[in-house]
Amino acid sequence: MLAILAALLYLCCSQRLKGAFSTGMNILVCVKQVPDSADTISVSEDSSRIMYNDGTVFRLNRYDEFALEEALLVKECFPGSRVDAISVGPERVRQAVRKALETGADHGIHVRVESDEYVSPLTRASLIAGFARTRGYDLILTGIMAEDDMECQVGQILAEKLSFACATSVMFQEISGDEKTIYVEREIEGGVRECITLAMPALLTIQSGINTPRYPSLSNVMRARSQEIEVADPQPADSLSMERSIIGLGYPKDAGTGEFLEGTPSDKARELLGILHELSMI
Amino acid sequence: MKRSFNIIALHCDGKILPETYELFNFVRDMGGETITFIILGSEPHVLMMARELAEKTGTDVICATSKYLENYYAQGYRDVLKGLVSTTDPCFICIPHTASGYDFAPLLAAALNIPCITAIEDIQDSLFIRSMFGGRIRAQARPSAPSAVLTVQPGAWEGSADYSGPGGTVRILPVDIPPGKTVIHGFKKSLSHDVGFCDAEVIVSAGRGIGSEQNVTLIKRLAALFPRSAIGATRAVCDLGWLGYRHQIGITGNTVSPRLYIACGISGAVQHISGMKNSRIIVAINTDRHAAIFRTATYCIVEDIKTFIPLVLEEYSRRSGNPVNGSS
Ligand SMILES: Cc1cc2nc3c(=O)[nH]c(=O)nc-3n(C[C@H](O)[C@H](O)[C@H](O)COP(=O)(O)OP(=O)(O)OC[C@H]3O[C@@H](n4cnc5c(N)ncnc54)[C@H](O)[C@@H]3O)c2cc1C
Ligand SMILES: Nc1ncnc2c1ncn2[C@@H]1O[C@H](COP(=O)(O)O)[C@@H](O)[C@H]1O
Repeated sequence: MLAILAALLYLCCSQRLKGAFSTGMNILVCVKQVPDSADTISVSEDSSRIMYNDGTVFRLNRYDEFALEEALLVKECFPGSRVDAISVGPERVRQAVRKALETGADHGIHVRVESDEYVSPLTRASLIAGFARTRGYDLILTGIMAEDDMECQVGQILAEKLSFACATSVMFQEISGDEKTIYVEREIEGGVRECITLAMPALLTIQSGINTPRYPSLSNVMRARSQEIEVADPQPADSLSMERSIIGLGYPKDAGTGEFLEGTPSDKARELLGILHELSMI
Repeated sequence: MKRSFNIIALHCDGKILPETYELFNFVRDMGGETITFIILGSEPHVLMMARELAEKTGTDVICATSKYLENYYAQGYRDVLKGLVSTTDPCFICIPHTASGYDFAPLLAAALNIPCITAIEDIQDSLFIRSMFGGRIRAQARPSAPSAVLTVQPGAWEGSADYSGPGGTVRILPVDIPPGKTVIHGFKKSLSHDVGFCDAEVIVSAGRGIGSEQNVTLIKRLAALFPRSAIGATRAVCDLGWLGYRHQIGITGNTVSPRLYIACGISGAVQHISGMKNSRIIVAINTDRHAAIFRTATYCIVEDIKTFIPLVLEEYSRRSGNPVNGSS
């Protein structure tokens, strides 16, 4: 009996369960679906959109996997927390939301955009803001960047639209005991981190390597299978939100000056060694 | 149409970042007519930097000072700049795409309710060019509103200012910003030991394309062919735990310039390229003929790492008559 009490006391005082007496955090994670590899995509003839082929496999944006894991870690630290996962896009992105549920998110939201066309960061952020505005989130996590469009914008714009404090490229976070502030370390160039404390509610864009994303557990996979995904119809938070500055897509023009080695694999191996020898490297 | 530009100067440790000067050349490339630098900071350092900018570029500088601006922080920059640009009314607000640049640029754009175009690498036919899909796709952008925030990829333009005429003016503007809700604690160097990059003549680097942790052995065996070599990696490989972060090369890792760099299964994302592009000779091995790395490479080999490296090792030992070492 005494041992149990002592263990409980220890748990409550330890760092990991500092939120033992809180009612938990209300957390939103933004997840984007991206094609698994760039060699299954092409640009449409009118250069207006990316075309996917039958071989295109979609997956979660890797930075969002780190964001989701971080949200689940916060939830474990603050019992009673809830993690929502949201994705904006056509029907197929429901798969990404489902994946987030399988990994451990409690609730999934799909903001429907009918076409598969490029949607600007301002529009995506406005759509997420339109949904999140009334849901009372304490913490919103996004990836630092989407691997497909590489814009590094949606998180920051979303923060601005919701008047949340914001930090990008986050490699460490810790919410204070009173849940009013959050300490973050953001990675800047040259192996240096900038350390700041933000007022909550806050939005963090998460950099890869902050944690080790977990795999879905069997029980979560079972639960997610039958779980409803909330469908939110697009409600942009303002007028400029249908902005679009990307006007054309294409392939890089500059081919580079490199020389392609040709022939059989063995030919290439021999040629490479020949080159290295000539350069006195070996 | 008026073509007025604001360039937001970024600095660190009392020094102007070279990316600021790169932006000056970017703006001149766009035919910028009216250029104004804006620099934020605390006295006295910021005044010296403002004067340096004005002298080296012959351009006018607005220098916003506050003791709260000693260090960069997003909300401070957003608030001060939002106020300032409403008086300068620029067409484009140009910001380096560095860790602080992309931190506040979208905030400022959203606060001003104007579009933001990030990580611009080139200008072609008056359109901004930026990479997507790890450099596989190029997007053309034109702001859909009369003014916009632009961030420019570091290294995309030359950084030197070749100006030698009369200096610009410096306008000092003390700004009143409330202490704000952000507390800045300062900087922290994340631990990393050298893995011998400085001494290495040859760096063999692993990307996600090596497929599995076991194949790091292949990379090590290839590196062992060279007397002074080191093992590098992309961030992706370090995130997967296949190699430690001290091996990471790129904008958030090590910057290297060996005589020979062999990129194995690396796509060639700009964040990686910026850490190794000054290598003398670059050999890239990748299954995807269109991988961006081939645009930087000296020698391009479209092959599968898993079969090609063993072939090279085999061929090497056949030539030299020596069996190749297992690992280093
Ligand atoms: C703020 C920020 C900072 C970053 N800093 C860095 C940094 O410092 N360093 C860094 O490296 N990255 C950095 N990144 C990540 C960067 O954007 C890329 O995601 C990363 O470099 C990709 O690593 P990769 O090339 O190993 O993997 P991928 O992009 O997944 O490429 C794998 C490549 O392997 C090829 N391939 C697949 N199978 C084979 C095979 N069998 N044989 C041969 N080739 C094969 C594929 O065609 C593909 O081109 C940063 C990102 C951000 C947002
Ligand atoms: N369509 C989307 N749906 C949900 N989240 C998104 C979407 N687009 C971007 N995000 C989030 O914003 C981050 C940055 O994306 P970007 O600004 O597009 O590089 C991503 O890592 C996601 O977390």
